[in-house]
Amino acid sequence: MANRNNGSPRDAVITKKILYRQRVLIALAIVFVIYGIIFYYIPLGGWIMAFENYKPKTGLFGSKFVGLDKFKFLFSDKTFIQVIRNTFCMGLLNLIFPTTIFPIIFAILLNEMKSLGGKKAVQTISYLPHFLSWIIVTGILHDSLSNSGIVNEVLQKLGIIKDPISFFSEPKMFWWIVCFAHLWKEMGWNAIIYLSAISSIDPCLYEAASIDGAGRWGKIKHVTLPSLRPTIIVLLLMNMGFILNAGFEVQYLLGNGLVQSVSQTIDIYVLTWGVSQNDYSLGTAAGIFKSVVSVLIIVICNAVAKRSGEERLF
Amino acid sequence: MKNFWRKSLGLGMTSLMVMSTLAACGDKTGGDGGVSTSGSGTGSSAASGSGTESGGSTTPSGEVLNLSMFIAMPGAEINDGENDIQKLIAEKTGVSVKETWLTGQTAAEAVGTIIASGTYPDLIDGGDGMVQLYDADLLVAWDDYIEKYPNLKNYYTPEEWDMFRQDDGHIYWCNVFQNTKGASTSTTHNDEAFWIQARVLAWDNYPKIETLDEYFDLLERYAAANPTTDDGMTVIPYTCLCDDWRYFCIENAPEFLDGYPNDGSVIVDKTDMNNPKIVDYNTTDTAKRYFQKLNEEYAKGIIDKEFATQTYDEYISKLSNGNVLGMCDQYWDFMTINDTFKQTGLDEKGCNFVPLGLTIDKGMDNRWHTYGDTLNNSSGVGVLTTNPDIEKTFEFLNAMLDQDIHNLRFWGVEGTDYLVDDQGLFYKTPEMRMQWADPSYQAKHRCVYSYLPQYGGTSDDGKNANLPEEQPSEFFQNLATPLQDCFNAYNVTTYPGMIGSIVEENAPWFPMWSFSNNLTTETPGGVAWTKMGQTKHEWLPKVVMSSNFESDWAKYMDAYNATNPQDFLDEMQQELDRRIGK
Repeated sequence: MANRNNGSPRDAVITKKILYRQRVLIALAIVFVIYGIIFYYIPLGGWIMAFENYKPKTGLFGSKFVGLDKFKFLFSDKTFIQVIRNTFCMGLLNLIFPTTIFPIIFAILLNEMKSLGGKKAVQTISYLPHFLSWIIVTGILHDSLSNSGIVNEVLQKLGIIKDPISFFSEPKMFWWIVCFAHLWKEMGWNAIIYLSAISSIDPCLYEAASIDGAGRWGKIKHVTLPSLRPTIIVLLLMNMGFILNAGFEVQYLLGNGLVQSVSQTIDIYVLTWGVSQNDYSLGTAAGIFKSVVSVLIIVICNAVAKRSGEERLF
Repeated sequence: MKNFWRKSLGLGMTSLMVMSTLAACGDKTGGDGGVSTSGSGTGSSAASGSGTESGGSTTPSGEVLNLSMFIAMPGAEINDGENDIQKLIAEKTGVSVKETWLTGQTAAEAVGTIIASGTYPDLIDGGDGMVQLYDADLLVAWDDYIEKYPNLKNYYTPEEWDMFRQDDGHIYWCNVFQNTKGASTSTTHNDEAFWIQARVLAWDNYPKIETLDEYFDLLERYAAANPTTDDGMTVIPYTCLCDDWRYFCIENAPEFLDGYPNDGSVIVDKTDMNNPKIVDYNTTDTAKRYFQKLNEEYAKGIIDKEFATQTYDEYISKLSNGNVLGMCDQYWDFMTINDTFKQTGLDEKGCNFVPLGLTIDKGMDNRWHTYGDTLNNSSGVGVLTTNPDIEKTFEFLNAMLDQDIHNLRFWGVEGTDYLVDDQGLFYKTPEMRMQWADPSYQAKHRCVYSYLPQYGGTSDDGKNANLPEEQPSEFFQNLATPLQDCFNAYNVTTYPGMIGSIVEENAPWFPMWSFSNNLTTETPGGVAWTKMGQTKHEWLPKVVMSSNFESDWAKYMDAYNATNPQDFLDEMQQELDRRIGK
């Protein structure tokens, strides 16, 4: 998915003069268009695999054509339907909490801090986990949520529970554990863009609000949040496309047999059937499904935003 | 205007950089494409794209050829290039192999990724993924080299070699395990069993444990009498690994408890020897009784609360602590902890595990131990077409079976790692044994090449065992005192003796798992096999942890039958008929 921002205002007439004035930008853009064609469009040719019984030996052009058989297999497989549900729900949870609500709240709170040093320190600490790889994050989670881990130990010492809770054997908790993992890892990082949006709000607005008698809360409600609105909408729209990219590593590393009915995502499904079982065609078919749905989600959301007169992508 | 030039210069630089990146990537994708689409698949185009892994092209004589090898099993890396025995072997053969091991994936995933990536090692043991490599035309046919190199030719009989032939009539890999030269000396039980710590048996004066019920009864009584270990850890009477493909630890016991040998995926009922029948061990009465027993023991707190969610690493570290009393597992899956016990002194406290040949009822024959060699034709070591010097590689594989190199690999350096007595028998001093078990010494000194051709049995000199742990004198000396006491108490001298499986010739179709391991989603049976696995993965721990066993067992059976196991069983029956020549 490529995100393109038009340099010129919408609906403006493009004249030679404008083209000449923007020649450097256009030349730069061409490089990226070529990049896009090579790395995003040409590989789409591989989609043929989904309609044939692909074997590495016979290759893309020699394999037997089977039409929609692979898609039929997918949609008659109960597991695949489960997998779509899991991916969508975990994606949605990720979109709502770790990518949108919490970073906004965090950015606003951080912005309200008076001490500049403290603010810097908190911000740096909060986005450091972003640079850890998932294998480390899941390792920490696995240890701390195990029966003899720190979480159970604290809960037991506080007398809240008697027997340790087996977090990873409870299907109901899995999505929330994944959501929490994302929150811990990505919240600080995701807040950066909101922080910068906040810092670009015209200070005059705050002054005017103060004169009108707004307190801290009033300023957040009537100045900060409305000014953030375009940023929030654009980011929300862009992230919508990633809903089905709910993740692979987290679920793969944290999952186990007991919770597999809620832990497997489309990517894991592709791995088990496509790579391990050597059925590349089936894997490709599942991948196509994912891409098509993602594009649809973006188009629909964009249309909705357009209708309601909000900021939009295209 | 000046501004314009500066911009243009910047633009030029940027596009140059982007272009060079594109060019570099283009090269690589070209290499990949060459492999995945070329029908003839000589892989020559890939060699140029992926030459980084291998040590270079054909080596002039006198120089060491550095090869890479991937093994689709977890293992310990040695200090490549600084390992004493690796260097000695390189001096003799002119070849040095850097081994890399499976980490955090299944074998099939790892092999699938290697095929898709286009970057290949020079040698591979891809476990269950060998057929995938063959399908992708990445393996060199062995036929000519087998004829050329006598050690390889003699490694298997012509009939045995034939079993490795693929559908195009050629041989592409060779299994390196369970191959006995000379007299068999087997002292270990490298198979599955219910294991129990020697001290638990000692505590109850070495009782005769024959059934599952007796086994858990002993664990319960011991744990009640000894709730904590000497160093204050809570005792875990029984644990059970369910991690990924290793869930066989919970899954396949019913087949053994019914007294059948390890056909792996099915039971072969041979009451009518001319008409053997495939039986599904997942749905037998024994299966239900076994899981019900686990369910009861779980409710009593005898089974590790975390058994279903522990990873393999967590499992191994738990076993190494010495507070787990028993489990069901394959010996090779946990054998590394024996070295740990030796280092930490827990072996002298009786923490080592001994195998028991349990059955579901008293008085049944058991077949946990497989006597004789099991030929697994579904996996082994293969040479990739991208290997820079295929000729020299086979020469090297041949040399692996030379007695002096074999001794270097498994016994070590004479004088440093073992001594020879007046009769020419090899032996080790206690210090040598201790050093041999030390992981840091293993990394800098030992080089076993454990997935390259090797023998069990007796050495060319007719006296010594090929593997030190199979040297009869050495074997017993090497055991910790509690193990020696245990063996003496039961009046046995080896691990298989502890199990007491009945001795019989393996059936001609044995083992059936060499077929089911290679099933693919091409056939309905292969699809069913994968889905059955997924269902069992979820439901087996669930029924063990269930608070209402009967209703959950019924639900499990519904989910299981929904995967069409009959498709799978039919294909197994076909293969069975084929193997007995029907």
